[in-house]
Amino acid sequence: MAGLALQHVTKIFGRTTVLSDVSLEASDGEFVVVLGPSGCGKSTLLRVIAGLEPQTSGSVSIGKQIVDRLTPRDRDVAMVFQHYALYPHLTVRENLAFGLKMRKESPSVIETQIAEVAELLEIQSLLNAKPQELSGGQRQRVAIGRAIVRKPRLFLFDEPLSNLDARLRASMRVELKKLHRRLNVTMVYVTHDQIEAMTLGEKIVVMDHGTIQQIGTPDHVYHEPGNPFVAGFIGNPPMNLIEGIVKPAATHVEFHAGALTLHLRAQADVYAERGILGIRPEDVCLTRPGTNHLVLDGMIDVHENLGGDHLVYLEVHRHRLVARTTAETAKNIGQSVPVYVPEEKLHLFINHNRIPLKRHE
Amino acid sequence: MTKPFSERLVLLIGIFVAVLGSLFPFFWFVMTSLKSQIHVEAIPPTWWPDGSLTFYESVLFDRHVLTSMGNSLIVASSTTVIALLIATPAAYALARLRLSGKAWMLGGLLCVAMFPQLVIAGPIWQILKRLGGLNTHWGLVLPYVTLTLPLAVWILATFFKELPLELEEAARIDGCTAWQTLSKVMLPLAAPGLFTAAILTFIYAWNEFFFALLILTDPAKHTLPVGIALFQGEFTMPWGEIAAASVIATLPLIVLVLLFQRGIISGLSAGAVKG
Repeated sequence: MAGLALQHVTKIFGRTTVLSDVSLEASDGEFVVVLGPSGCGKSTLLRVIAGLEPQTSGSVSIGKQIVDRLTPRDRDVAMVFQHYALYPHLTVRENLAFGLKMRKESPSVIETQIAEVAELLEIQSLLNAKPQELSGGQRQRVAIGRAIVRKPRLFLFDEPLSNLDARLRASMRVELKKLHRRLNVTMVYVTHDQIEAMTLGEKIVVMDHGTIQQIGTPDHVYHEPGNPFVAGFIGNPPMNLIEGIVKPAATHVEFHAGALTLHLRAQADVYAERGILGIRPEDVCLTRPGTNHLVLDGMIDVHENLGGDHLVYLEVHRHRLVARTTAETAKNIGQSVPVYVPEEKLHLFINHNRIPLKRHE
Repeated sequence: MTKPFSERLVLLIGIFVAVLGSLFPFFWFVMTSLKSQIHVEAIPPTWWPDGSLTFYESVLFDRHVLTSMGNSLIVASSTTVIALLIATPAAYALARLRLSGKAWMLGGLLCVAMFPQLVIAGPIWQILKRLGGLNTHWGLVLPYVTLTLPLAVWILATFFKELPLELEEAARIDGCTAWQTLSKVMLPLAAPGLFTAAILTFIYAWNEFFFALLILTDPAKHTLPVGIALFQGEFTMPWGEIAAASVIATLPLIVLVLLFQRGIISGLSAGAVKG
């Protein structure tokens, strides 16, 4: 077991910079999720850690050891791939044994370790099957088994659940969480699925265009997104973002966006400049909340019933706002309604940075 | 799902014509080889043979077809083994490594395969003469390997390219060196490609006539196509013997293809990676 540290890692393919000055740390036994849209460089990051791809500059260390010059074999990591990458010509047992054999373990050790892992993952009955006889979920178990059987010091997961159907994905998510608790090893998990990131990660690394956008706990990146990208990427439906002009005044901050003008009873150390105002759909209320709030005139455009929740698409001063409500407060299309926005739930971004809104009574 | 009758009829007729067209010459040779001399030259020609085996006897015992066949086996097998030994790592490298000028290398290979034989025959003969390769089996294997390599590399490279990269990465993380990745993971999965390349190389070397005639002048070294062609005398054309020898020359190929075909099919069914 060991922690992981990346320092100023950059990866350039030809003329494309895939990773740009990426630095991050994972402490021993931590579950780190790298989250980002496809093409953001997160898989490359994983491959650099594994040693499959040499970085252009920067350094990677596992434990206290700098591993830049080590082959994948000598880095002592295990990786679970998106398409499982089980060896199709070998049985499940041989797949599990492959890595141990390559490391010249004795047959008795191999046998006991396979038995242990097979029991842990409940795949004892599959040991003599070939991969193509297995279902997607079973293959994923075997792939995870092949990773843990070697007892590596670091686990890497490359979108391991993206090929499973939604239901299986949910149950595998729970199992992965249990597995991590049980094995207590460092795991780096790459995904584009924010639900996986929020539920699995102890630490979330949000990436876009090869750069780290924010690192933090799930709560931190959700409630205090560091920039508009993180704000828009995490959360479903995504945060409502409105572009406009921010004007600070003595006692408040004014925000203008077309026909919409807001007076925020807060202070921010800014000059008049372009900014983005954000509010999460669950914070857009159609009933009067208890806290300080702004009231806007809205008109109901579309209403979606998700069963438990309702999504109400509102037109507010020519801007589109999505509200997530539990009660069927209002659902007549075209109806004008008051829209309440609690002030402490507003997020302000200027120049792609979060600007804290200081409250004053 | 079933197509209209007329469409299926057209399809059937098409298949029948194609099969008949390609099999008829062979069928005629088999028939001729089983006739006796009188029937071979009969006018009008007789269709059905009288089952005489005299041509086979004469070919096997008087005309040294077995010697030629042995020569052909040596040359064709060596060519296949050497070509594949070189083509496999080359194809793997061309399929996987990020090499600059990879397209040029593959293109260059194709060019080699497209040289007209007549153009390269002179230089090859000169080179072999210097090297002492005339009238030796290796002297024939050398140009055969050169000429079959491009095709073998192309076939294998295509196969390697289709195998998922993830498998290779999994092998490397599991502790394989590049050679172990190739031998333990990639080759078993590329078996269909290997079989295909092997068959095509073998057939080329088995059938090749021009270089064999040029390089091997000693009758004891002749390969089958040359041996059979030289049955022909100044005033005689021994059709019966030629037919019998051709049938004998074709049989090993048929056996080989049938054997490899099983390998190809089992290789394909084992190749599935995703469900």
